[in-house]
Amino acid sequence: MKKTLAMVLAGGRVEELSVITLFRPKAAVPFAGLYRVIDFPLSNLMNSGIDRIGILSQYRSDSLINHIGSGAAWDMIGSFRGISMLPPMKGTRSSDWYKGTADAVYQNMEFISNYDPDYVLVLSGDHVYHMDYKKLIKFHESVNADLTLAFVKVPKKGAERFGQAIIEDDSREGGRILRYAEKPSRFISPWASMTIYLFSRQALNFVMDEMMKPPETKHFGNDIFPVLLDKKRVYGYKFHSPWAYTRTIDEYWQANMDLLKDNPTFEIENWNVRTNLENKHILDRTPSLFGPNSLVQQSLIHHGCRIDGIVKHSILFPGVHIEEGAVVENSILMFNTIVKKGAKLTQVLSDMRVVFGENSHVGVGELAGTNIEYPNLLNTGITLVGKGTHIPANLEAGKNCIIYPNKRETDFPKTKMENGRTFK
Amino acid sequence: MRDCVAFLLAGGMGSRLNILAKTRAKPAVPFGGNYRIIDFTLSNIMHSGIDQVGILTQYQPYSLMQHIRSGEAWDFIGRSRSARILPPSTGINASDWYRGTADAVAQNLNFAKRFNARQVLVLSGDHIYHMDYRPMMRFHKKRKADITVAMMHVPWRDTKHFGIATVDRDQRILDWQEKPDLAKNNLASMGVYVIEMKYLERVLQNAKGFDFGKNIIHDAVINDRVFAYPFDGYWADVGTLRAFWNSNMDILRRDSGLNLCQWHVRTNLDDEGHVADRLPTRFGKNAQIKNSLISFGCFVDGQVIHSILSPGVRIEKGARVIDSVIMHDVVVKQKAQLTEVIADKRAYFGAQSEIGVGEASQPNEKFPKHIFTGLTVIGKAAQIPAMTKLYRNTIIEPFCGKDVIAAQGLHVGSYVKQRRVKNAVPLTENNFS
Repeated sequence: MKKTLAMVLAGGRVEELSVITLFRPKAAVPFAGLYRVIDFPLSNLMNSGIDRIGILSQYRSDSLINHIGSGAAWDMIGSFRGISMLPPMKGTRSSDWYKGTADAVYQNMEFISNYDPDYVLVLSGDHVYHMDYKKLIKFHESVNADLTLAFVKVPKKGAERFGQAIIEDDSREGGRILRYAEKPSRFISPWASMTIYLFSRQALNFVMDEMMKPPETKHFGNDIFPVLLDKKRVYGYKFHSPWAYTRTIDEYWQANMDLLKDNPTFEIENWNVRTNLENKHILDRTPSLFGPNSLVQQSLIHHGCRIDGIVKHSILFPGVHIEEGAVVENSILMFNTIVKKGAKLTQVLSDMRVVFGENSHVGVGELAGTNIEYPNLLNTGITLVGKGTHIPANLEAGKNCIIYPNKRETDFPKTKMENGRTFK
Repeated sequence: MRDCVAFLLAGGMGSRLNILAKTRAKPAVPFGGNYRIIDFTLSNIMHSGIDQVGILTQYQPYSLMQHIRSGEAWDFIGRSRSARILPPSTGINASDWYRGTADAVAQNLNFAKRFNARQVLVLSGDHIYHMDYRPMMRFHKKRKADITVAMMHVPWRDTKHFGIATVDRDQRILDWQEKPDLAKNNLASMGVYVIEMKYLERVLQNAKGFDFGKNIIHDAVINDRVFAYPFDGYWADVGTLRAFWNSNMDILRRDSGLNLCQWHVRTNLDDEGHVADRLPTRFGKNAQIKNSLISFGCFVDGQVIHSILSPGVRIEKGARVIDSVIMHDVVVKQKAQLTEVIADKRAYFGAQSEIGVGEASQPNEKFPKHIFTGLTVIGKAAQIPAMTKLYRNTIIEPFCGKDVIAAQGLHVGSYVKQRRVKNAVPLTENNFS
């Protein structure tokens, strides 16, 4: 196999994820009761035999740095393997924040040259999917491409959020890209870019030497690809398996809840996904303990939980405690959440270390309206609670509410939050 | 603690654990869901800040070596920390199998010398307890002891299994009885010794026997400074199947003193080659869980009551598991019923099979002293056919196929042997994990 270097884009926050991405980039968002989103592309790379990786980080990189650790979790360790964190830096050539995907790669060309790869695989760390990049590389070689982009078929509704391409030739594998438009307002094709770009080294050098005019050139999708189509052999590779974009709260929610089905779309158990078990001390936790009055159905529960109450159709990350008489339904509770006696949670997405006080009721009641401040962001009834917040005892919070991180019990002005309210 | 080196004795056969210890050393027997017995002592060593540990192996060391690997799981990593496996070897100094606990240490004294140890901590790898060894070291130094033995009070009926001491007011041991029929006291040795290095060198040269309890301590009490360090926490010797089962069940009793959540026991999750992470456990629509400890990577759609599940166990709809210890990747098919079962890794229970049926009216036919209280023990990867009834006190050997079990006349206390096939493929390393 030719030498391939992967550059993982993991710098973005994604505003639509609200309080969940206040303190971490999208790539570090917890997923499926154990993982971080970036575990999926990293495991794909490991399973594809690509073991030299640069991670382009920018927004709140500390949680990502913690999570990646030495890279040993993905076997990216040894003299010829490794994960390098590439945060923005000051220097002679590179003197500023990353202004976009192309700019981030541009600022790290020295890193790339040092490794001297045949191929550079640029990919997003924000998506959940299982893909063998070897097949992509094989396709790239078989059509003698300079650049190959991976695409997945999406419905027309919501397609305006993606780069779209018209791909020549109806072969199942893919073909030459005839037209590319980044997030076009008018639908041109159901083939949406997965933000996976495989460059032959010369093609990348060409882009970086000839086409980059900082600071104007920022993004591959906007500034490079539409022009490059005429200059180089640019191909589209069609991906035919499930792919989760999880860019909105609702998409994130659906992708997680899908795992609770009898036959989930995402068959994670067959994906050979790894995470860093040292992060959040997952390794040191005991198996979960279930008390004499516990009831747990249709749920995913990892280690370190203590369940004395009722849990239905929910996902619990390590270290969650559900006290006696508490009821948790249709909810996702991240690391070390504590649900005190008699508390009731319905359709709650709570970040790490949240405490739900005794007899607090969150997300209960009839669904009506949307979040008042962010109607497009939160309208399916999910109530969000930010990291480390302490919900006071007896608080009643309705649906589509947002409660910001690190609130103390005494910060809450009233004991009732109507549907759709935001507490900052 | 740079001046102390730990020797962890992990070579024992554990024959009373019967088929659980048939393919692995006793310290490597799985315990408490995702641990192995040795994890408890290794974690104690780690939490006590001891940097060097030599692990003395002899019997079936493969699964143990696989488990300990570099020692990284217990932070025995870095330039001045390590966990070394010390197997018996032939050579100038060490020329034979370990003939006993003291002999094993004697043959590896160089390991302790290399680190300029002033004290040696001798530990056993087959006990379940949580102990900080540092206060014991201080106790030892303060009394200028030659040997300090950690001791605890046990019920009088159990004294015959232990080294028993009589002490004076300052905890100095005046009299030692090794596994006495008639004990003078109920203060029992936990098999935890702090020994002055210089003293140890001298005494091992002149030792008449090969065992710490039987020979070294027994003789030392007469002439030297031997003290008893009192311990009153939870401690269990899980050397018998019933003790092993009891101690597992103690995890589920809040007042038992065995508090996994507070003990911070570490294990090596990568040791079985399943280095990819297992998923969170999936609970189905029909799951009913009471009073249980459940590891990750399981699928549970049946009833689990007062039981321990290791990673990867599958309990199908309508199945019921009560008072049982179920190890890694066991499959319990629909409507199977398990009561008081210890099932080793990858055992398979066919649909509607019933295990642990009836009364414990007679002990196991082959091992009446190992199995007589009603437990049923299923060996690694044994396959119980659908609709089969296994009565109490039954033992099924590892790797028994469905046809072997189906051909048996089963009764209370049955012992089912793995059929020996001519030119059978010998057990491979994979079977030892």
